[in-house]
Amino acid sequence: MPAIRPASKRKPPPEGFADIEEDLLIFANKMKDAQNTPTDNIPKHQAKWPIFQISHQRSRYIYELYYEKEAISKQLYEWLLKNGYADAMLIAKWKKNGYEKLCCLRCIQTKETNFNSTCICRVPKAELKEGQDVQCVSCGCRGCATGD
Amino acid sequence: MLRSTYKPSPGALPPLPPGWTEHKAPTGHTYYYNAATKESTYKRPGVTPTPTPPAAASPFGPPSVSPVPGAHPLAAAPMNPSMSYLQHQTVPSINLSDPHVANAFMAQYAQQNQPQSGGRGGFGAGGRGGNQQQQQRPRPQPTDKPKAKVAILGCEPWFLVYTKYGRRFAYNPVKNASYWRIPEKILPAVIELDKERIRRKAAGEPPLEEDPKYQSHEKEEEKKVEAKEAGSGQQGGQEETHDYDSSEYEEVEVTDDEGADHHDDDPEHPSKRQPTTTEDGNQGPIEFTEDDFAAQLAMMEGEGDDCMDVDDPEYDFAAQEENVDEEPLSDTDARLLFRDLLSDLRINPYSPFQKLIDEGDKTGVFSDPRYTVLTSMRARREVYDEWSREAIQALKEARAKEEKKDPRIPYLAFLQEHASPKLYWAEFKRKHRKEDVMKDSPAHHHRTFNDKEREKLYREHINRLKLPQSQLKSDLKKLLESVPLRQLNNRSSVASLPSQILTDIRYISLDAKTRDEFIEGYIQGLVPPPEAGNDAGGEEEDEVLRKAREERRKREKALEERERRVGEEKRRQEKKLAFERARLREEERELQRAMVVDKKGLQSQLAVEGKTEVPAPKEEGEKAE
Ligand SMILES: [Zn+2]
Ligand SMILES: [Zn+2]
Repeated sequence: MPAIRPASKRKPPPEGFADIEEDLLIFANKMKDAQNTPTDNIPKHQAKWPIFQISHQRSRYIYELYYEKEAISKQLYEWLLKNGYADAMLIAKWKKNGYEKLCCLRCIQTKETNFNSTCICRVPKAELKEGQDVQCVSCGCRGCATGD
Repeated sequence: MLRSTYKPSPGALPPLPPGWTEHKAPTGHTYYYNAATKESTYKRPGVTPTPTPPAAASPFGPPSVSPVPGAHPLAAAPMNPSMSYLQHQTVPSINLSDPHVANAFMAQYAQQNQPQSGGRGGFGAGGRGGNQQQQQRPRPQPTDKPKAKVAILGCEPWFLVYTKYGRRFAYNPVKNASYWRIPEKILPAVIELDKERIRRKAAGEPPLEEDPKYQSHEKEEEKKVEAKEAGSGQQGGQEETHDYDSSEYEEVEVTDDEGADHHDDDPEHPSKRQPTTTEDGNQGPIEFTEDDFAAQLAMMEGEGDDCMDVDDPEYDFAAQEENVDEEPLSDTDARLLFRDLLSDLRINPYSPFQKLIDEGDKTGVFSDPRYTVLTSMRARREVYDEWSREAIQALKEARAKEEKKDPRIPYLAFLQEHASPKLYWAEFKRKHRKEDVMKDSPAHHHRTFNDKEREKLYREHINRLKLPQSQLKSDLKKLLESVPLRQLNNRSSVASLPSQILTDIRYISLDAKTRDEFIEGYIQGLVPPPEAGNDAGGEEEDEVLRKAREERRKREKALEERERRVGEEKRRQEKKLAFERARLREEERELQRAMVVDKKGLQSQLAVEGKTEVPAPKEEGEKAE
């Protein structure tokens, strides 16, 4: 008996998983495609953008299923978080005022950015120059301030 | 999954229209971005306008352009079916650059359409199209713009305005009227201007527009006299109301306005190329104000060099003739139609909106006219979210209802997942004793469902698992066929099947995926549910259903009507486009002819020191015809 496997893996998914299984598979395939796409002709810092973006989309998908559409049970939602289908930390941010659209956690970590402040993509469009086109370096976000 | 309409274009690419820049997406795909309009697209902008709808703000992707809020450009193949009708706008493949062909084409165009006002330029502007919605008409999109203006001395208050592309038109600021074709009465003065222009150029003097003398019509009194003495033979200023409409120098109003009244429709003159005797043939001059200049300028900045490059301000969107009572789709209807579409195409409400777009080609969503009743991605997403939320709730309710009716349903579903030929009933029972389905819950008081029955079903199920797939499939088919059409029809959903199916052991014998695909296929082959049940079902429910059906028919009719109009508009635009192009070429030709003549005229004049009359361009032009 493979007793080494973590408890969460041993348990079958809760009821309702079948309803979203196919779409989760699509996300998984997208992710695989993104990982397998050659990144030779892409600047190094951009190589991981698609992966960030798909993972963002998938977290958003599960977040909306649970919080906005009430389509899945709490049980299933927690199981999904536990099994890595969504980023619990990111979702936790979305529930906070001003972070409803946050792209990724790196963009609010002050240490990693060049300016020792939050990422440019967090700056509301209203505070940018007219027509200024921003795109953050860490995840390719083009602006995720709440009011935008 | 990942679908993109992007196709690498082979070989040399045409230059991008102004305002567009080329970018690389993280995936390496090239996309194009227009900073002015904030549009982006994978399709190289060029001949075909492919406006992208504004989308909700999204963290990823070119700013506010990805079709799906929260989506990334790589996932957001910018297929925009709402614009597909524009993409089909093509000009008939006749060679309109040949003036004769063009004239013939235009004459035909003019005949096809309503009689034109006699003085409305040479090319049958106006005409049909009264039945498209005003607000849906695209504004004309001139790419040329005024550059300099020179007072036409002796012809107060007329000015000659030069455009960026070296064209020119006569402008009467008092009447706010502009004409591509120089009105005959000021023609001699304009020829004088041209001569002066050429003379100055030859002499290396500053051009007219820099000479204060030509800035305005000041001291007009003296000049008027001068002008008369100069033998221009025409009075300026007084006679603008008479638009002499010779076959060569028709006045073409420079205007981008629309919908002016034709107060002098002349059915005798379907083709404007014919000479006409109409004295006051022109409709009232239409504004061409500083604002229009500014608007043109603004459009220059943002406008691509697309097939709408009809830089003719006269681009006219037709007077209203048959004014069909407009009853556009209401917002509510549009939303409901979009919801009908989602339901009819059996879109899985659990799926993300992005999937609807990614698979729009495959599922037929894009080709359905109901997709375009909502015009922005933001609106589509909004309605989708609302619909999916409600559809999921409805599914859940239906399921709960079925389960409540019969505790065998969740039990069988559980068996399907967990029963194994390796486990005896006792083992199975012990292993899952904590599960709800294994307990005699008070919720299941409708019927007696106890361990004895559970055991029976378990054994039966395990035995059936040993049967060949083909047998299991034909058993399932028999089961499906036994369900009346009222309960199982092409509107049914695999996710909420009637209990007659769900309580049957044959339902769980195949693995869930195979089974669901099998049932989906079966359902799709069925016909719709019978019309308003006469014998069964509560009468109240029938009434509700009947009303819902009626509402649906109404909005579908409204949609049909809209489609019809869009089609009409499209055909009209195609003709218009071809026609405008032909006219443009014709004008260029005339201008060229005029230039040649003017030069000759100047030379001859210089030769005889102004004693000879300058040949009138129109004669030359006529010979050339
Ligand atoms: Zn961001
Ligand atoms: Zn980020």
